[in-house]
Amino acid sequence: MIKATACHSVLLGLTLTLAPVVVAANDFDIITAPAMVAPLATKATLTEITQAGEQAIAVGDFGVIVRREAAGAWQQAAVPSSVYFTAVDFANAKHGWAVGHHGVIVHSTDGGATWQTQLDGFALIDLQITAFEQRLIDLQQQLDSGELDDDTLMVVEEQLMSVEFLLDNARFAKEEGPTRPFLDVIALSEDIVIAVGAYGTAVRSTDGGASWQVLDAQINNPSEFHFNALATDGTALYLAGEQGLLFKSDDQGASFYEIEPPYSGSYFGLFVDTQRRLWAFGLRGNVFYSDDQGASFAQVRLSNRVNINAAADAYDGGVYLVGNAGMVAHIDATGVVQEINHPSGATLTDVLVMPDQSLTLVGQQGVLTMPAMAQK
Amino acid sequence: MSELKTSAAIEQKSVWLERLLFGFRPLWFVAFAVLTAFLAWHASMVRPEASFTKMIPTNHEFIQNYFKHQRDLAGMGNVVRIAVETTEGDIFSAEYQRVLRDVTDEVFFISGVNRSGLRSVWTPNVRWSEVTEEGFVGGPVIPDTWDESEQSLEQLRSNILRSGELGNLVASNFKSALIFVPLNEIDPDTGEALNYADFSEKLETLIRDKYESDTIKIHITGFAKVIGDLIEGAEQVAMFFLIAIVITLLMLYWYSRCWRSSFTVLVCSIIAVVWQLGIIELIGSGINPYSMLVPFLVFAIGVSHGVQIINAIGNNRFAGFDNLASARLAFRGLYIAGLTALVSDAIGFTTLMVIDIKVIQELAIAASIGVAVVVLTNLGLLPIIMSYVGISPSGRRYAEKSHNETHSILAFFSNFSKPKWAYPALAVAFVGLAWGLVYSADMKIGDLDAGAPELRPDSRYNLDNQFIVDNYSSSTDIFVVMAETEPGSCVAYQNLELMDQFSWHMQNTPGVQDVKSIVYVAKMGGFGLNEGNLKWFSLNRNQYVLNANTSRAPSGLVNPACSMAPIIIYLNDHKAETLKTVVASVQEFNANYQQQGLSLLMAAGNSGIEAATNSVIEQAQTKMLLWVYGVVIFLCLLTFRSIRTVACIILPLMLTTVMSQGLMAVLGIGVKVATLPVIALGVGIGVDYGIYIYTRMKEALEQGKHLDDAYMYALETTGKAVGFTGLTLAIGVATWMWSPIKFQADMGILLTFMFIWNMLGAMILIPALARFFANFTPARKG
Repeated sequence: MIKATACHSVLLGLTLTLAPVVVAANDFDIITAPAMVAPLATKATLTEITQAGEQAIAVGDFGVIVRREAAGAWQQAAVPSSVYFTAVDFANAKHGWAVGHHGVIVHSTDGGATWQTQLDGFALIDLQITAFEQRLIDLQQQLDSGELDDDTLMVVEEQLMSVEFLLDNARFAKEEGPTRPFLDVIALSEDIVIAVGAYGTAVRSTDGGASWQVLDAQINNPSEFHFNALATDGTALYLAGEQGLLFKSDDQGASFYEIEPPYSGSYFGLFVDTQRRLWAFGLRGNVFYSDDQGASFAQVRLSNRVNINAAADAYDGGVYLVGNAGMVAHIDATGVVQEINHPSGATLTDVLVMPDQSLTLVGQQGVLTMPAMAQK
Repeated sequence: MSELKTSAAIEQKSVWLERLLFGFRPLWFVAFAVLTAFLAWHASMVRPEASFTKMIPTNHEFIQNYFKHQRDLAGMGNVVRIAVETTEGDIFSAEYQRVLRDVTDEVFFISGVNRSGLRSVWTPNVRWSEVTEEGFVGGPVIPDTWDESEQSLEQLRSNILRSGELGNLVASNFKSALIFVPLNEIDPDTGEALNYADFSEKLETLIRDKYESDTIKIHITGFAKVIGDLIEGAEQVAMFFLIAIVITLLMLYWYSRCWRSSFTVLVCSIIAVVWQLGIIELIGSGINPYSMLVPFLVFAIGVSHGVQIINAIGNNRFAGFDNLASARLAFRGLYIAGLTALVSDAIGFTTLMVIDIKVIQELAIAASIGVAVVVLTNLGLLPIIMSYVGISPSGRRYAEKSHNETHSILAFFSNFSKPKWAYPALAVAFVGLAWGLVYSADMKIGDLDAGAPELRPDSRYNLDNQFIVDNYSSSTDIFVVMAETEPGSCVAYQNLELMDQFSWHMQNTPGVQDVKSIVYVAKMGGFGLNEGNLKWFSLNRNQYVLNANTSRAPSGLVNPACSMAPIIIYLNDHKAETLKTVVASVQEFNANYQQQGLSLLMAAGNSGIEAATNSVIEQAQTKMLLWVYGVVIFLCLLTFRSIRTVACIILPLMLTTVMSQGLMAVLGIGVKVATLPVIALGVGIGVDYGIYIYTRMKEALEQGKHLDDAYMYALETTGKAVGFTGLTLAIGVATWMWSPIKFQADMGILLTFMFIWNMLGAMILIPALARFFANFTPARKG
């Protein structure tokens, strides 16, 4: 048996300096290059699929955003960036956001037909530097005020150090270019949008993406673990990530606090089903649910120990789960698990249940379909 | 019997060349014998060669790019795949696994195999892996505890599923498994080049013969096997040569009823072949599967000119001359016509030099040498020998008999100068022309069949190839684009990013199955090193992350200097249309996207090289036709000084050219290295018929004879020989239709068609066209 550990190279990056990359004027720039018109767009690696009114909309590699009317064919949308999109969410039938690598956030106001870039990694780094510098000034003022008790002093000093660390990273990133992908996005309304990503990146907008606030320094994540997933049950907002990170927000993402995780491995997804049950799932077939808004969790045992990436409501009140190696599982309202594999064996990252109960899946091989699972 | 006229009687009108030849007969005889012995010795050393670089247009931009990186691309694609199939149950049985293990071990020890790259379920480098909370976990696919038990087999099944080898090393239906055998083109120990024939032979004896049984089937594919089969197939050509010799001998006897002259013609023609091969060897050339056609042509041309000589000698003998005088008169009467015809043949062949592909140029040289040699052996040596041996009594009797009666076949052909037959013949020709034009529009460039187009579609190799294509995911049609960068920058972020876009662009090109390169490894690395989260299946600007992600790259995906990364494009097929689309798609990308310091260069891989070859052939096709016809028309104008005459001779040839193009389209034969020269050869030889016949017709017309009589005269003097020549040439190459090598069979079919059709065209359309012109132009009375 061999073992190798995943590496966090951002730490490596800190100790070494790179010559700034010289980019010629007409060189290819993935952030600003419009997505290639691709006949096989639905065969690109796709990461998420969501509903916008009657439409299904999926996003993925090479700036691909594809959409399908209720019973129509897939069409590729015009997208002003070629980055790998990792998540998409719509507030309603018209307004939606897609986020991806190189810190790119794009926005649509016409149900996904056209998209405009609202943020990219270079702008994000500038926002981060400004935010972290301001945060340092605030913390320094608190220290200088001399009004803090010893306990608070220690906390503030710790915070100061970690913000200095963030600022150093951001300044280095200014030279290197954006290396932190966004990994999930949630649109709570036409105005309030939150996007999270690698190494604890988190931004929030309250004006429909016109401006973004950096949340990194406000969420307690000193090890800079990845934020992988967001979900809401209408009142509470949840954030989950690497190494057992689990947070909750009661103010629509303005601030987050930690909650006790049922598992210390990585979560790849969060989902709130129609019964307002919160599902958290991730590495190696680990699936948990909570019926009390995250206060306590129960585990569902799957025999197939592969990563679980996404969930969706089934029409019988249960949920579908999808994961790596073609994993598809159905868990009914009473907790009975039925596991099958998509014949492709491809990694599946998201699922949409159609009115006829068939599944539209996305993942490594693009859009795949599967007939409704036979109920036991 | 009256007294025979001797040589002295004809001395007066002799020419110097004739005196030179017949004045020193014993001397010439010895000289020819010595030269033949010397050249035979060299001919015996001629090696069959299948040099890859000679079959490709070395000056084409793609090939130049390929040569620049050839060393770094070596080994890529030079892989043999061995599929071990079970016809009973599936691969999860102890017996099957034992065979698979033994075959793997056996292959391991065959010299030429790159042992560290060898992959099969039974090699330790084939592993499964999985991401857990602690990172990667994995092991060899064959469980450490392997004991052939049900439990071991079950473990094997689960490891295979986790290894990602389904479709690669194991067929999705679990009925077969693959052994992937990369080869060393140069032996790292001895420095010797891989001997393909020997390697291919070992695969047959050590693997196929040894392990194939009622329940186990072995399928082998790969470039080395194709070359091995080609060399083996080429050896069979020697047998076709023997068959051609026997058939020709019988035809000669049927024509002359004289064993003496038949053997003399045969021997002289064989001597011509020996000389040609000897000279080839002397100038440092070998014989390749394409130029193997040349000895057949030389032999056939030798025979057809030899027939003219013995025909003339027979006539002279009948006219009452002795053996020597008959031979001298025959030489005197024929050397100008023979030389003219042979020179036009040679020039026709030489026009092939305009095609920038070495094997075609070598074929042109070999054919020109062969024709030059025929001048000496069959215009020089043959009359000398005949002056000694003479025509046998039976031959004389036959010549006498046939001289007194008009042959029914000649009577048939003589009709075509009369309007009643001429116009329908022209109408039929016109229909044929229309047919040819319609179908030749469908004529395709390049190879049209799947698998190895060099071999027949139902050959063992192509059936094996079909099995592997059906059961495994990898295509065998590979187009490689070379991503060239500054040294050390092959995995620089900016370069990988553009290569990724390029891969996506190509993926979306019709005909492309899959695209693989170092970029895919880098993205898979991101996926694997981030806990198997697909949202990280991407390139990262951080160079250290990229270096880590690409550190597990299999060899060959970047060169040692890190200045070139091949982007491997797997295609559905290697049809010319597909290749054209791919080339255009690469050009389109290069026009729209760029990255300083990165060049995406075409092309390597079998399909990349074929794309270059196709483009050269497509351009050469028209160029070659223009040259051939230009030269032939010029020679005819020079000889006859009449546009009308040239039209009579050239139009039937053009009809044949157009119809053979139509035939190629109908038979699914593409224009390629093997078939391109055939049209030039056909025109070059075909024009002889026209020259012979029209020369005689002109002779008669100038004496004021009527067209019908003039044509009858031409038929009586040369018509028989022309008919015989056409048939002999056709039979010489027709045996090729049975060659196991597809392109040789294609050459055989086309040449047979052209030789016969040119002969018929000359004997039917020349008089018909002459009639047509005579009736519709006022210049000369018909």
